[in-house]
Amino acid sequence: MDERVITAMLPYFQVAFFNPSSPYAPAVAVRRAYEAAKESIARQIGGKADELVMTAGATESVNLAIHQAAGHVIVAATEHHSVLRAAQTKDHTILDVDEHGRVSLDHLRRAIRPDTELISIALANNEIGTIQPLRDIAAMIKEIRIERRAQGNSTRLLLHSDASQGVGQLDIHVARLGVDLLTLNAAKMYGPKQVGLLWASSQVVLRPLLAGGGQEHGVRSGTENVAGVIGFERALTLVSDRRESEVQRLETLKEAMRKELTAAFPDAVLSGHPKHQLAGHLHISFAHLDAERVLFALESRGVLVATGSACAANKGTRSHVLEAIGMSPEVADGSLRITFGHLSSSENTALASRAIIEEVKREYERMHR
Amino acid sequence: MSKVYVGMSGGVDSSLTAALLVEQGYDVTGVYMKNWTQDLPGMKCPWADDLADAKRVAVQLGIDFKVFDFETEYKQKVVNYMIDEYQKGRTPNPDIMCNQEVKFKLFLEAALDDGADYIATGHYASVENGQLKMAKDANKDQTYFLYRVTGDALTKTLFPLGGYTKPDVREMAKARGLYTADKKDSQGICFVGQIGIRDFLSQYVEQVPGDVIDRVSGKILGRHDGAIFYTLGQRHGLDIGGGLPYYVVGKDMAKNEVYVTTDLNDENLWKEEIRLSALHWINEAPAEGMYDIRVRHRSRLIRAGLVYDNDKLVLKLDDAERAVTPGQSVVIYDKEVCIGGGIVI
Repeated sequence: MDERVITAMLPYFQVAFFNPSSPYAPAVAVRRAYEAAKESIARQIGGKADELVMTAGATESVNLAIHQAAGHVIVAATEHHSVLRAAQTKDHTILDVDEHGRVSLDHLRRAIRPDTELISIALANNEIGTIQPLRDIAAMIKEIRIERRAQGNSTRLLLHSDASQGVGQLDIHVARLGVDLLTLNAAKMYGPKQVGLLWASSQVVLRPLLAGGGQEHGVRSGTENVAGVIGFERALTLVSDRRESEVQRLETLKEAMRKELTAAFPDAVLSGHPKHQLAGHLHISFAHLDAERVLFALESRGVLVATGSACAANKGTRSHVLEAIGMSPEVADGSLRITFGHLSSSENTALASRAIIEEVKREYERMHR
Repeated sequence: MSKVYVGMSGGVDSSLTAALLVEQGYDVTGVYMKNWTQDLPGMKCPWADDLADAKRVAVQLGIDFKVFDFETEYKQKVVNYMIDEYQKGRTPNPDIMCNQEVKFKLFLEAALDDGADYIATGHYASVENGQLKMAKDANKDQTYFLYRVTGDALTKTLFPLGGYTKPDVREMAKARGLYTADKKDSQGICFVGQIGIRDFLSQYVEQVPGDVIDRVSGKILGRHDGAIFYTLGQRHGLDIGGGLPYYVVGKDMAKNEVYVTTDLNDENLWKEEIRLSALHWINEAPAEGMYDIRVRHRSRLIRAGLVYDNDKLVLKLDDAERAVTPGQSVVIYDKEVCIGGGIVI
C-alpha cells in the first residue's frame, strides 16, 4: 500500500472510529467524510456518488453486477473466476477470444440473443494484460438496443466491465467507456484489500446479495467500511494523478526487459496483444520449462513473479486464460507473468532481467544434462 | 555415480537428507509422495504447501524433482486398514503400515523402476550390513515405525540422518540456508494431523452411543459416543464428572460398552505377558531368549524373555507394563539392532 493511503486511513480506525449511521456529531462528521470520499471517487470515474455501491472487493462487485440479470448473460472466456462462476449461475454463453485474448465484435454480435441481458467483459486481463475494445463493444451494444426497440423487444441489454486491472493505466471514465456497470478494486491500485465498488448507471436496478440494515441505498447492507473507502479514494486519486507519466515509465521498463529476455531466448513466446496490452504486464513462456522451479529460484533472489499454472502436481489448474488463447500445456506450464509497478525502477528491472535469464538457463541446462 | 531418490515431504528432516546426499556426491532426485490430499473438518490438508516446500528445497539444491501419486494405494493399504482395525476394537498404528506398504514398498519399487539405485528418507535410523539400527538421537529414534520393513528393502535404503540429533539437523539445515530449516515438525499421523483420530474416524463410522461401565461394580457410570473411539489406558474424553479420574480398561465392541476404573492398579491395565501375532522379522527370526523390547514409540526399552507359541510370540516381562494395547506394535531389539516385532493380540 501507498504510505499516503495508510496515513489517510489511520484516523478512521482510531479517533474517528464512529459508526457513520450513529446520530451524534462525531459520527455525523465520519458520515460526511465517507460521503465526501464517495463523491470524489464518483467524480473521478465520471459518475454520481449515489450510483456507487461500496463493496468488499471486486469479487463482490462482479457478483452484484451479474446477480441483477434475470436473463441470458455473455462473458469472455478470459474473465476472472468471479465473473465466470457468477455467470454459471445464469443462462450464459462463454465467448471465445483470439490468440491475443481479445474479444471479436463479430463473435460477440452473433452470441447476443434476443433475451441477452448482460455482457460482462473486463477492461484488461489480469494475466496477459490484453486490453479489450470496450468502447467498440459499447457502441455495438447501443446499435443493438436501437434494433431491439425497432423490433419491439423491450429486454434491456447492459454492459458490465471489471476494470480493476486497468486502474492507474487506462481511462476508466464510465461515459467514455460506454459501460452501464463498472467494477473497481482498491487493492489493485496500492489501496487496501477487501474494498471495492460497483458503479451502476441510474437505469440499472441492483438486487442485494445480503439482507440487512440497508446501507448503500439498500443494495449493500453492513456498517460502512469507512477507513477502507477513505483509503480507496486516496489510492484512486494518487494513481489517477500520475497516470500518464506512470504508463510511459512502465512501458519503458517492460520494453527493456522484453528486449533482454527475447535476445537471450529467441524462441520464447510473448502473450497478450502486441499493441493493446497493459503497460505493466509482460507475459513470457518458455516451452517445456517448469516455470514453478524458476519462480522458486527467483523468489530466493528477491524477484517475485507468477506462473501460468499452480502446482505442477495439481493437475487441472492450468490457467484458463492461457487455455482460452490456445496455448498448449507444455508452453503454458513454462509461463512467467511479470508485472511492473510503482516500485519498479530501471535498476531493479535490469537486475530482475538478469536473474530471470540466469534461472531459465539453469533450468534448461538441468533438463538437458 | 549412484542415483538416489529421496522422499521429500517438505519438512526439515527430508530436506537435509537430500542436501547431505548431494554433498556426498550422489545423483539425487527429490520425490514428493502424494498420499493424502483431502481436507478434513476443521483442518485444511497442507499437502499443496508441503509439496511446494519440498520443490523449493529441490530447486535450492539444483536437483530433479518428481511427484509420485500413491493416493489410491494409501487409502487402500493404510487408511482402510486403520479404520478396519478400529472397528475391531483395536488401536492400529498407521505410520508403521505406511512405511511397510508405501514408503519401503511402492516408493522403493517405483524409484527403482525409474532408474534409481537407492531410496533415502529422513528417518532417524541407520542401516548397517542390511541390519536396521537405532539412531544416535535416542529421543528421535524411529526404528519403532520401521520394524515391518524388509531386509531386502533396507539394502536399497539410505538413512543419512541416523548419525545426527534433531538439534544437529535443525542447525545443519540453517547453516545450508534450506528453506524449510525453521519449519515446524508435523505431529502424529501425517494426514490426521492436529484434528485427532476421533474426528477423523467420525467421518467413516457411525457414532453409536453406549454405556460406560465400572468394571468392578458393573454399574453404569455414563454414556459414550462410540466404543470405537476409546483405547486402553485412556483417561481423557470420558464424560464422567467428579472424583478420581477414570481410565479405560476394556471394551466390548459387540455390546458397544466401555469399561472403566479409578483403580490405577487394575489388572487389565498392567501386563506381565504380551502375546504378539503378525510377526515380522527384518532378517532371520530370532532365537528364543532375552531381548529388549519397546511397546510404543519413544517408550523406554524393557527386558523380555521371548518364547514362540506356534505362529505367535510370547513376551515375558520382569515388571508389568501399563496399557499394552491390542493393535499396537511391540518392537524387539538385540542391543542396538532392531530385529522386528509383532502386533499385540
